[in-house]
Amino acid sequence: MVVGITAVDDKLDATFTALADPTRRAIVARLAKGDATVNELAAPFAMTLPGISKHLKMLERCGLISRSRHAQFRPCHLEREVLDEAVEWIEESRRIWTERFDRLDAHLRDIQRPSSSRKRGTTHE
Amino acid sequence: MNDQERGTDELNFTRVFDAPRELVFRCMIDPEHLTHFWGPIGVSTPLESILVDARSGGAFEAVMVNDADGSKYPMRAVYDEVDEPERLVWTDPGTGMTTISTFLDLGDARTEVRIRQTKVPEAFRGPGARAGFLSSLDRFATYLGTLTQGSTR
Repeated sequence: MVVGITAVDDKLDATFTALADPTRRAIVARLAKGDATVNELAAPFAMTLPGISKHLKMLERCGLISRSRHAQFRPCHLEREVLDEAVEWIEESRRIWTERFDRLDAHLRDIQRPSSSRKRGTTHE
Repeated sequence: MNDQERGTDELNFTRVFDAPRELVFRCMIDPEHLTHFWGPIGVSTPLESILVDARSGGAFEAVMVNDADGSKYPMRAVYDEVDEPERLVWTDPGTGMTTISTFLDLGDARTEVRIRQTKVPEAFRGPGARAGFLSSLDRFATYLGTLTQGSTR
């Protein structure tokens, strides 16, 4: 849908903001492989648990991750739909420009065709 | 806005066209040309819907129409810079998205066009925060796409 490129909403803004930080991106990438506890998420980083918790809270606020209220170790879970929206927005923009340039390429060939009355390379509108 | 900053934005597109730079640039600001290619595949942009006032502060508007069901997608932007035939910058005030197009003369009637599109949330428009926000988001999306989809998209 073309509309995606113009209708960027606040939620998407929040997602991009959350993904602006390399630590949070690493957390999201880790959770893409499966749920993990705070301790497991903290392991690869030289960061205290409260430091990691701050990042997790931000990811939770924008809906990118959720945490079980009941399980003992409250594993973190990636909400793929929210992430997919952000990924789709980027891919959507890329697709639009790719197709637009395909058409521009065809248009340029068209108007520069030697058989037309215009001379190649000197065409101006 | 120099070349060193490239690659840190959300989206980068580069394409080489077999046409002289002046012509490629005209295509991007002339409604008679834009109507031929502005909509992606399956989407038309009627000539009468395109408004171009190619100067700094001028309007760039168009309505894209879905060929299949007729739904309309209006776009409305304002030019920040019009430097023919080298550089074109516009911003969509609604989304805060800025599109920067640069046109490189490769000689031999060939032109490289670079498109950089940045969508910077309000909170991240300060100079210091900007770099963090923009770093590799585009590549990150591709990477995540492979992780979460497990198939080609």
